[in-house]
Amino acid sequence: MSRINDVGGMAGFPAIVEEPDEPPFHADWEAHVLALNGALIKRGVYNLDEFRDAQERLPVQQYLGASYYERWFAAISTLLVEKGVATADELAVDDHGA
Amino acid sequence: MSGDHGSSRISAQVRHVETLLESRGLLAAGEVDGRIDEFLAGGTPANGARIVARAWADPGFAERLLADANTAIREVGLSMAGGLQEQRLKVVANTAETHNVVVCTLCSCYPIALLGPSPSWYKSEAYRSRVVRDPRGVLTEFGLELPAGTAIAVWDASAESRYLVLPRRPEGAASLTEAELAGLVTRKGLIGTAAV
Amino acid sequence: MTTAPDGFAPGDRVRTRAVDPAGHTRLPRYARGAVGVLVERAGRHPLADDRARGLTGPARSVWHVRFAAADLFGEGDHTVTVELWEDYLTRIEEQR
Repeated sequence: MSRINDVGGMAGFPAIVEEPDEPPFHADWEAHVLALNGALIKRGVYNLDEFRDAQERLPVQQYLGASYYERWFAAISTLLVEKGVATADELAVDDHGA
Repeated sequence: MSGDHGSSRISAQVRHVETLLESRGLLAAGEVDGRIDEFLAGGTPANGARIVARAWADPGFAERLLADANTAIREVGLSMAGGLQEQRLKVVANTAETHNVVVCTLCSCYPIALLGPSPSWYKSEAYRSRVVRDPRGVLTEFGLELPAGTAIAVWDASAESRYLVLPRRPEGAASLTEAELAGLVTRKGLIGTAAV
Repeated sequence: MTTAPDGFAPGDRVRTRAVDPAGHTRLPRYARGAVGVLVERAGRHPLADDRARGLTGPARSVWHVRFAAADLFGEGDHTVTVELWEDYLTRIEEQR
């Protein structure tokens, strides 16, 4: 079924906003997510298409409410569980212990 | 860097996952930092500007670039091999008749290894949804008013190629050096949302 | 996925698959069931739909396929060139 990433020709999104002098990343963790994903793909934990697929399978409200790299991190977390690398409990961090 | 609660929370989550993966032998110590340094030292819009300036200065290079960009860009010391694997680069040239503009409607495909990360607007649903349907309207919002007679060709990066627009050489730039020509080229020009 | 069709050439008119697949695909919704023209081969790669399911198939052709916006959206004087695996395409033989 058509997925939320497939937006070509859709109406209803907000205006296009340009950010002058935009930095490569808006926070350190974004760079970490990008590097983490590259490392896991290089090791063959999953491939790029599985990574895209995992983003596309996010619940629509979560997908649209998340920032670009939040989506990436959600997809990485999904795949780590599905590939048996870690359980969801192991991936979760205790808010107060962080 | 943003220090708000949402950012510090996800920051802690990412750190936690990195530590977990290190403990399971799936991530080497320092690997993430090394990849970040490599990434930041890699692609930059200046690479695209150099390619464009050479194409303006050397019609033979322009011809080779349009026929086989991966081979041609080696002439200026660049390659598409900097990412996870070498990707095919497709260069599309603006002419008096046709203006090209690039999008990835399905995700955010972009020649990162060559040009660095794409701007946020390129990744936005706003741009990706509209530019295939109403490119003239979108270009007008970017301040690019094309003559009514100029055809618009939209390229959707839906598979394995990555794209670079070769803008038209500005009028009156005849006396400029190649380095000066490169200084005229913007990242938006390389995507097609600016004339140059 | 079935065996990839052979013998496509630039200039061929093709119709894209109209089906709405259950999983990952790189045929955008707006370009489904549409008629376009093959512009140029864009290399050969295993089908993304398969790779996303952890399958490895043979490399098959990927094409730049040009559509008139009016054929996709019912309006617009621009073209949209989409990069599509040959598995998504059927040549329109009778038009040649």
